[in-house]
Amino acid sequence: MKGFTIWFTGLSGSGKSTLSRKIEEILLERGLKVEVLDGDVIRTNLSKGLGFSKEDRDINIRRIGFVCHLLTRNDVVAIAAAISPYRAIRDENRKLIGSFVEIYCRCPIDALKKRDPKGLYEKALRGEIKGFTGVDDPYEEPLDAEIVVETDKETVDQSLNKIVKTLEILGHIPPSGKQEYSDEEEEKIKERLRSLGYI
Amino acid sequence: MSPFWRKKKQQVCVIGLDGVPYTLVKRFTEDGTMPALAEIVRAGHLSKMCVTLPEISAVSWPSFMTGKNPGWHSIFGFTDLKPNSYSLRFPSFGDLRAPTIWDKIGERRKRSVVINQPSTYPARPIEGVLISGFVAISLCKAVHPPSILPKLEQDGYIIDIDTTRAKDHAYLTGELVKTLDSRERITNYFWENEDWDFFEVVVTGTDRLHHYLWDALDNETHPYHKMFLDYYRRVDAFVGRMYSRFRKLTDTADPTPGFFILSDHGFTGVRQEFYLNNWLKKEGFLKLQTPDADSIEAIAEGTRAFALDPSRIYLNMVGKHPKGSVKPEDVRPILTDIKAGLSELSLDGERIMQHVFERDAVYDGPFASQGPDLVAVSNYGFDIKGSLKQPKLFGRSVLTGMHTWDDAFLWSAHKPPENLNITDVAGMIMQHME
Ligand SMILES: Nc1ncnc2c1ncn2[C@@H]1O[C@H](COP(=O)(O)OP(=O)(O)O)[C@@H](O)[C@H]1O
Ligand SMILES: [Mg+2]
Repeated sequence: MKGFTIWFTGLSGSGKSTLSRKIEEILLERGLKVEVLDGDVIRTNLSKGLGFSKEDRDINIRRIGFVCHLLTRNDVVAIAAAISPYRAIRDENRKLIGSFVEIYCRCPIDALKKRDPKGLYEKALRGEIKGFTGVDDPYEEPLDAEIVVETDKETVDQSLNKIVKTLEILGHIPPSGKQEYSDEEEEKIKERLRSLGYI
Repeated sequence: MSPFWRKKKQQVCVIGLDGVPYTLVKRFTEDGTMPALAEIVRAGHLSKMCVTLPEISAVSWPSFMTGKNPGWHSIFGFTDLKPNSYSLRFPSFGDLRAPTIWDKIGERRKRSVVINQPSTYPARPIEGVLISGFVAISLCKAVHPPSILPKLEQDGYIIDIDTTRAKDHAYLTGELVKTLDSRERITNYFWENEDWDFFEVVVTGTDRLHHYLWDALDNETHPYHKMFLDYYRRVDAFVGRMYSRFRKLTDTADPTPGFFILSDHGFTGVRQEFYLNNWLKKEGFLKLQTPDADSIEAIAEGTRAFALDPSRIYLNMVGKHPKGSVKPEDVRPILTDIKAGLSELSLDGERIMQHVFERDAVYDGPFASQGPDLVAVSNYGFDIKGSLKQPKLFGRSVLTGMHTWDDAFLWSAHKPPENLNITDVAGMIMQHME
């Protein structure tokens, strides 16, 4: 299989890390090479020292994009999970990488405040964190993401199914069903369907 | 020991009768052909039910088992396209994208026994026992847990009749009876030997009988007329036995809540088959590389639309299909043209189409966009097929029955919701098991 990049974008707590880890498992199971680049982890190594100004955020996202580009051209599935708030930089990465699937984790801010697994929204709302995306820093929604998951309405499994199925349909990963029938079985199925007028 | 010590189990038993129309149940329960079912019908509610589109088992049963339309479970037919290609793939149980009713039941640590459920091949683990039905090929991949395989083999369990030989009506009718008997033996075995909360068995012979011998139903001089009725008498006796043993087990009086009987679509006679891809070709929507190409694998540049069996029309979108030529701004006019053309179509003064639905009207959910752009529903008698192997727009084959979408049935103890659809049944079952 050819490499490609799955680019998650969305506010903090919208489900990027959760879904990227699950997708990683599924793709590994299907025999693909996978690397996850999680924003929170990248900021402790590759982008250590960068802050949250627009400039620093852009550098961070470009760096992640560049690594995804290297991985993708070596037939690895690169999965980026960072807020990546600016549309222009995401589109820059899309151009650079080519084989690019953008997944928007959409979740209304009210649901995120309730969810708040890391307690960050509470702090941001109290003003203890400045420049927090979605609170007092901008987030530009994707206009034509390949996949939109509504993580306040869907369960993790539903979002996951949606992503996997779309990757199959787009031809990035082999359909799971395909491996379930042997060629011989497929012939028999065809014969039966034909005999009942279904094909 | 007093039974009051134990919390009463809310058990459910579902009988599936593949392809049995509401109108036929009504008729056979009124004219004495199905006396046992007649008694059951008197005790509860027999309702006409619509199914999801297209109205074939491959789609209907997933809609039943998930309680969702295909936009959620993602099975739109016996066939779908391989990614980036016009060749067919055959979705399997693994393609189902929504949890099944027995997945949900299993989450509550309750056990299911599911026998001959179509569209569950290859079988996967459930909390309990699963024996897959059509299109199951090899028994060893059709069962969960694997430990039940020896029992089934020893008993000579038959998944389905060999439909490739069904043109031979003597063979067909003989095998139907054998298969039903084998199904009942296995049903009895698991009924007795498994601890279960949910029990389901599907009879698929009815559908097979209808496909090949629907013309025998109303024709008393047909050599298989008596066999047709006789098979229904056997099915009736089977349903009757299941009903009374369920009542005994659950110790309930009429109308026996927890018992459900349903079909996955209706049936009617074929007057003419209508070949949808031939029509798309004739109207210039579909272009093939050679005039006598007999499969959409030979699609040529400039194709705007093509069909997959039985009645699914897909626009040949740029970016979605390898030789796509339709741009988003062209979608509306093409849909309008196809709908108008199909609606006008008639044979001997009779309209072929009852309705041509746009995707949004019949599917919602995360996979709706993977469904067809249009789904056609024909008037009774005109059987829509995708086949490009036929020379004309209309024709006949050995098949004498065709599916209907608005004439399936449900029998339930309690009154079902208005405008009943097959996607409602799972909810009714879950409600009973609460
Ligand atoms: N459909 C869904 N997809 C992803 N996460 C979900 C979904 N529904 C609920 N969640 C929950 O939302 C939280 C998302 O957190 P996380 O993945 O760390 O977000 P992010 O990486 O975007 O900051 C998790 O607690 C997860 O269990
Ligand atoms: Mg994260």
